[in-house]
Amino acid sequence: MRNGTTLLLLAAIAVAGVAYLTLGDAGPAPAAAPALTSVSDAPSAMVIFPVGEKPNPEGVGMKPVAFNHLVHENRIESCESCHHTGDTVACTTCHTVEGRAEGKFVTLAQAMHSPNIARQMQENTPQSCVGCHTRQLQQQECAGCHNVVKPARPETYCNTCHKVNGLTKADMVAGIAGSLPDDRNAELAADTLKARENPTQLQPTDGPYKVMIDEIADHYKASMYAHRRHVASLMERIEDNSLASAFHNQPTTLCSTCHHNSPLKGAPPKCGSCHPQRINPANPERPQLKAAYHLLCMGCHKGMNVARPLNTSCVTCHKHSEARLADSAAATLGGE
Amino acid sequence: MNRRKFLTILGSAGAASALGTAGAAKAAGGTHTWPYYENSYGVLHDTTRCIGCRRCEEGCNKANGLPRPDKPFDDLSALDERRRMTPTAWTVVNKYELDDKPVFRKLQCFHCNDPACASACFAKCFQKQPDGSVTYDGSQCVGCRYCMVACPFYVPSFEYNDAWDPLVQKCTFCEPRLKEGKLPGCVDACPMDALTFGRRSDLIKVARARIKANPGKYADYIYGEWDAGGTAWMVLAPSASAVADEKHPLAETGHEFKALGLDTHLGNRPMGELTAGALGAVPMIVAFWPVLFGGAYAISKRRDALHKAETEAVIKEARDDMANAMDAAVRKIAETQGPGVADTARQAMAEVLKTREEACANCGHHGEDK
Repeated sequence: MRNGTTLLLLAAIAVAGVAYLTLGDAGPAPAAAPALTSVSDAPSAMVIFPVGEKPNPEGVGMKPVAFNHLVHENRIESCESCHHTGDTVACTTCHTVEGRAEGKFVTLAQAMHSPNIARQMQENTPQSCVGCHTRQLQQQECAGCHNVVKPARPETYCNTCHKVNGLTKADMVAGIAGSLPDDRNAELAADTLKARENPTQLQPTDGPYKVMIDEIADHYKASMYAHRRHVASLMERIEDNSLASAFHNQPTTLCSTCHHNSPLKGAPPKCGSCHPQRINPANPERPQLKAAYHLLCMGCHKGMNVARPLNTSCVTCHKHSEARLADSAAATLGGE
Repeated sequence: MNRRKFLTILGSAGAASALGTAGAAKAAGGTHTWPYYENSYGVLHDTTRCIGCRRCEEGCNKANGLPRPDKPFDDLSALDERRRMTPTAWTVVNKYELDDKPVFRKLQCFHCNDPACASACFAKCFQKQPDGSVTYDGSQCVGCRYCMVACPFYVPSFEYNDAWDPLVQKCTFCEPRLKEGKLPGCVDACPMDALTFGRRSDLIKVARARIKANPGKYADYIYGEWDAGGTAWMVLAPSASAVADEKHPLAETGHEFKALGLDTHLGNRPMGELTAGALGAVPMIVAFWPVLFGGAYAISKRRDALHKAETEAVIKEARDDMANAMDAAVRKIAETQGPGVADTARQAMAEVLKTREEACANCGHHGEDK
């Protein structure tokens, strides 16, 4: 066995293998798909039940959450980001629906939803699901939409997380009591996560190519809004964002920043249906139509760091009308 | 009216005046000079929305028929310098830096709930109207410019270039337009709703809602909610990372507003309260001092007159007594020694009397002088 030919052959195979791996890594082919290998002994997914200490024979409570532990584990720096005590036990050990002394009476709902937890001087500052995810929205590709308008949050908004497929009443009762077998828990979680994959999205071509915005053209001519180009650009930016693809779980989720507060079936209503041309002093928070357009366009461009056009460069979006031109001509003459 | 009666009246008047001043001082500590109008209007200026387009300046100029400025309104180089309001530009937009990003703020009259200009004006030119505006009526204006000194926001401006009837000029909240049911010119022109018009009480709720709905976007403070006793126009600022140094390890609240050129140390009481007590005494002084000093003068004058009359009466009596004695003596001489001697005696006695009177008058003067 120990002859030169074999050694050479093995060496050649090794070199080829290394070369293949190196080239493969450098190439664009595997688009940064994170290796989903667990580094801990934790199950890759689990269902978090609203564990409570009060007797609950009917299994009444908030719908449980199927939590993809593996994805989160690979995203964070250390386990202590979430397991803030350093002890990798389940959240519901200390944070129950009612709160326990071990969890400083912080309830499960608070532990999961508190948007901004005060920094702890002595110990590790805990993070909630909502708090951490809200911070992620500061990313440039998210900040455009997520900083501008708060879309309506119907029941489906909670359902994004609070939904478990195939959950029976017996599972729920056992889960609340904390006595659901681990394999059943894992089975429920796996089923739910599988169903979550690849939500369908409306495509840019489903919307209009261009939209004429001309309801209030007076000083300026109507603006031609490139609807399809904007939608395509938004989708392109978040294509590889797993957070976005996990949470944009409705076909119309991406539409719901601009077309906020209205049902998104069929053609959405015009902006002017809700935004009056003159502000209503009885409802001063709703922007008037002109401001609604500008706040939306400029807010998103600002969030996404779109340098051009400048906010004050009016004619990039809508050309001067004849009236305005005549006006500025008069101003120039008057100035002279 | 005798002296005692006069003094009684003067004393009670003085007591009333003192009470009135004390009352004004007490009112200054507890309540405001102007009532707080529950339904008054205001404007919320959201500087996170402002893009510095100067449309508000243009709107103000048009709505108020002001002369065209040197730089046209679409010339944004005007923002390169810090400007102040002038008699012909009642609002200006300035550019500030916060975290190396430009932030624009519109300057105009804040229309204080309890305006300092009004408290400083002794001609009562300024009025806080129930609609929220602070209006100026120049018909009584004497041009003292105390209002300009009093205003914590440096708002009123003076027509220095008008030689004959210079007036103070400032933003009127477009009060005539409000009465017609229109929006103020600047608010109407704002393309971003960076200026939100509404009832002041609603705007405070709106501002809080915006701060709550956008965590981390706004400085957690509404400038003008309480500053200088509360103002009708209020400002929201973007949040900025505070520069903490050794002296100030914890960032000061509202440092963002300081960066926007807003004074955060005006306190939460109206400026006018500081001076209302002292200035409230001015009309009292104007009314009572002439009476007081006039009265004192009258008393001393009357005393002199009485004294003079008394003295004259005594002198007359003495003179009459002397004349009677002289007559008796002359009659006696005429009976005993004949009328010729009597005449000589009368002459001699008259001369002696005259000399004595003169001497007495002199000594009397000396005595008075002493």
